[in-house]
Amino acid sequence: MFKLNLKIAWRNLWKNKGYTLINILGLSIGMASCILIFIFIRFQLSFDEGYKNEDRIYRVVTNWKYSAYEDFSSGVPVPFAAAARNEIAGFETVGSIVKRNAFLQINDANGKEKMKSQEAVYYAQPDFFNVLSDIKWIYSAPELALAEPNTVVLSAKYAEKFFGSVKDAIGKNMRLGEKINLKVAGIIQDMPQNSSFPLEIVISYETYKGRFNNNWDSVNSAFCSYVLLKEGLRPEDLQQSIANFNKKYYPVDKIAGNQENKLQVLRAIHFSDKYDNFANASINRSQIYGLAIIGLFLIITACINFINLSTAQSVTRSKEVGVRKVMGSKRSQLIYQFLTETFVVSLAALLIACVITELAIPPMQHLFKGRIEFSLFGHPSIFAFMALLVLFIAFLAGFYPALVISGFKPALAIKNKIALNKRGLSLRKILVVAQFAITIVLIVGTLVVIKQMQFVQQKSLGFNPDAVAMVGIPNDSLSKIKYNTFKERISKLPGVEDISFCQSPPLSGNINSSDFTYNGVKNKDFELRNIRADENFFKVFDLKLIAGKLYHKSDTANACVVNETFLKKMSITNPEEAIGKVIYASGNTVPIAGVVKDFNDQSLREQISALAIFPGKNDYWNVSVKIDSKQIAATMKEIDKIWNSTFPNGVFDSAFVNETINSYYESEQIMGVLFKIFAGVIIFISFIGLFGLISFVATQRTKEVAIRKVLGASTLELVKMLNGSFLVMVFVANIVAWPLAYLFVSKWLAGFAYRIDVSIWPFALAMAISMAITLVTVSIRSYKAASANTIDVLKYE
Amino acid sequence: MIQLTNIEKYYASKGVKNYVLRLVTTTINQGEFVSVMGPSGAGKSTLLNIIGMLEEPTYGNYHFMGEDVTSLNERKRIELYRNHIGFVFQAYHLIDEMTVYENIEAPLLYKKVGSAERASRIADLLDRFNIVAKKDLFPNQLSGGQQQLVGIARALAAQPSIILADEPTGNLQSAQAEEIMSLFKKLNEEEGITIIQVTHSEKNAQYGNRILHIADGLIKEDIKIQA
Ligand SMILES: Nc1ncnc2c1ncn2[C@@H]1O[C@H](COP(=O)(O)OP(=O)(O)O)[C@@H](O)[C@H]1O
Ligand SMILES: [Mg+2]
Repeated sequence: MFKLNLKIAWRNLWKNKGYTLINILGLSIGMASCILIFIFIRFQLSFDEGYKNEDRIYRVVTNWKYSAYEDFSSGVPVPFAAAARNEIAGFETVGSIVKRNAFLQINDANGKEKMKSQEAVYYAQPDFFNVLSDIKWIYSAPELALAEPNTVVLSAKYAEKFFGSVKDAIGKNMRLGEKINLKVAGIIQDMPQNSSFPLEIVISYETYKGRFNNNWDSVNSAFCSYVLLKEGLRPEDLQQSIANFNKKYYPVDKIAGNQENKLQVLRAIHFSDKYDNFANASINRSQIYGLAIIGLFLIITACINFINLSTAQSVTRSKEVGVRKVMGSKRSQLIYQFLTETFVVSLAALLIACVITELAIPPMQHLFKGRIEFSLFGHPSIFAFMALLVLFIAFLAGFYPALVISGFKPALAIKNKIALNKRGLSLRKILVVAQFAITIVLIVGTLVVIKQMQFVQQKSLGFNPDAVAMVGIPNDSLSKIKYNTFKERISKLPGVEDISFCQSPPLSGNINSSDFTYNGVKNKDFELRNIRADENFFKVFDLKLIAGKLYHKSDTANACVVNETFLKKMSITNPEEAIGKVIYASGNTVPIAGVVKDFNDQSLREQISALAIFPGKNDYWNVSVKIDSKQIAATMKEIDKIWNSTFPNGVFDSAFVNETINSYYESEQIMGVLFKIFAGVIIFISFIGLFGLISFVATQRTKEVAIRKVLGASTLELVKMLNGSFLVMVFVANIVAWPLAYLFVSKWLAGFAYRIDVSIWPFALAMAISMAITLVTVSIRSYKAASANTIDVLKYE
Repeated sequence: MIQLTNIEKYYASKGVKNYVLRLVTTTINQGEFVSVMGPSGAGKSTLLNIIGMLEEPTYGNYHFMGEDVTSLNERKRIELYRNHIGFVFQAYHLIDEMTVYENIEAPLLYKKVGSAERASRIADLLDRFNIVAKKDLFPNQLSGGQQQLVGIARALAAQPSIILADEPTGNLQSAQAEEIMSLFKKLNEEEGITIIQVTHSEKNAQYGNRILHIADGLIKEDIKIQA
């Protein structure tokens, strides 16, 4: 019976090749998109999976509640671990780990330099690995390898990279920075890509210079503590002891902002937007849900095509149904037969979807810069997903048509007297409206994302980042002596226009903030961002002063420049009033020398902060070089050369400020690309469905068209008649889609402090696009129907 | 009104010409009621279709109301359909999705007749054909005879000068057929509408005033019937 069904299914599909093609094409593209989305989501959800104690492993984080805002850090004060070990009874193990950038040098057997590189290193206590005890040790063990100063543990990959092989690495030495010698004392497994712990080089905590810091008021987000709760304990059980701990170490009168520590469970780290992680790869759950919804949309759109075309076609099969029923077929058998057909179609679509997915994987990997594992056969759950997808589609798309078709009354069906009843017609209309509403929401979304990204790229930031290179400089005392020579030498290059020593560009996520005292009064409402830069900074970035003047050239903080926002937040209306007032911040007491016009100091997601700029030679990490835009490449090469001869032990690194700023919008840019792709896919699916439907309607109405022609209808009138209902449906879809699109779009834009206004035009454009494509799609087919020769239809009855 | 000169029609299949009509020449005047008769396959429908401009002759000349229509453009032809020609089909060919009322209204809409005029004409027709009660029913809710009445009402709505009817009673019982025939006769005599019908029944043919006998694509006999 099943075999027979398959055979009949095949013949029917073949007979209606056109509709079958539309169905399979739409389904396979929809499925391919869904599979890609699934692969992506599965990868994201698999972060940090598989630790056997995962619900006992927590990261300790720090929160602040100021009167005007809240702040969050993934770090803890340095003395936290030692204190917590003794005082919080619920912790079984507490391990600290700090992420730092370091300069490493590996010498060969003769002591000659073999390799030097700038790497992320982690200073970790053995207990960190006792918390994350599933990280495999290929050689040695945490207590043996990390208890002493001057030892290092490498991942297998890095052991190979530095020393050729794991075996050769053991016991070897490498140099950290200028002086410290590290001995390779252990080898750990390579961390998978879906880990928040990309540990490659782990140095014993005892080597970490900052380990004796005893300040509870200073938290760095790269200094983290991981804890293992005692067996059987839930975080609620520790609430009291952590509250006591907070009260003891963060007394309100001494430490600002109601500082407190909290627990964050291991599997939440990857999805947290408040707290950083070492892998810099967090994604928030709403993005994952958003993608899942888009995937669902795609599948629903493809299924709607299927449902519409099959119910529409069903009339032509009414005779078959009638005959089968007269022969004694039960309704359930007919349903089974039609579901078989759908199943065959979905299976065929899946095969094509796999091919499309394979083809789409390389560009996807490129889009995500290779940080995400995309592989069709990467995980058994992908197969399970595909199987589910086929069943889901076969059922969703097949069940309703099967129900309709199998319900035909045999007597009528045999006489071919089944007309599409009004109810079926209106269900189809509703589905088309739903389909196009989805399409239009996506079109509007895409237009808004594109527009916002353009806005972000074009908005004047209040400074000029063009043709400015940030060149990293070493910060050790030996190097500091050479700063001036370095500056003199590159100043002489013909392409160099201006040079400034500074910490970071004016817009950076990497600027410290601190509390401050203004005019003798300690401020409690907001924090002040502190930029360290020499006096040339203003010229390099074209920053404008609106009051006062610049500070004089100085190696230490002698005066500062604040921005307009600082004045606004302090309710100072006249800038002159602030000049000469004294600010105490980050250990410096300086008078305000000038006020700089506001510029965006963070990505456009954030408002401009209050900030102060002052000199401080000890804290410069970069040289910003303004280059003649026509000589950039040549000049950079020269700078590189001079840099290497000035700082022979360092590693040259540089970045253009423009590019760095753009990188802050990477996730939005990726989203923009994804939106464009999925909107394209959904438009394609919807419109081939529409084409199928109008083809069917045109065939169905051939007789009517012929009669009307004889009654005197012109071709144009007939085309209008056939098109009419489709245009109305798409119009209604627009009306349905607009409020939904508005909600989505304004929610997304709310994430930007600087954003475009939601205007009518993306909506109007989406309507114009959808109506125009509808008109073209439908007219092609209806013109054919309307201009066909009438007589053959009317002749033989 | 209708002047056919040496009309020929053939279908070529595999290089062989199958003649359906040969050298048909005849004139039909305003006010005539012509019955076309002949065996099945003789070419009756083809002749009627050519007269109705649904098909083009292979050779020959056709003048409709003094105008050469052998190769008429689409716009002109539509003009003629709207104003001069009404079709009645054996299979009725009503539009299934439209009610009786809407079916009758359709040609008036194409003719751009104003709504008041439309309503009164339709009311008039419904009344005349005794189908007022049926005006909101759909075609499949009517008997064959009733459907054909609607078909005729529709053909008349645009007030044509000629009605072309291909076996209008072919699917009907004799009682219903008689009703339709006397209706045709009345239309012809009282309103002067030219009627050309194809029929197999000698009895039906007697309602008219002229019979064209066709066999093998030729007019074999052309008989005038004296009232
Ligand atoms: N499109 C066509 N192609 C080939 N032969 C046709 C076509 N239309 C009609 N014929 C043939 O023309 C002949 C006359 O048909 P018709 O005018 O319908 O006869 P009738 O007198 O029964 O109405 C028939 O033999 C028919 O098979
Ligand atoms: Mg015939």
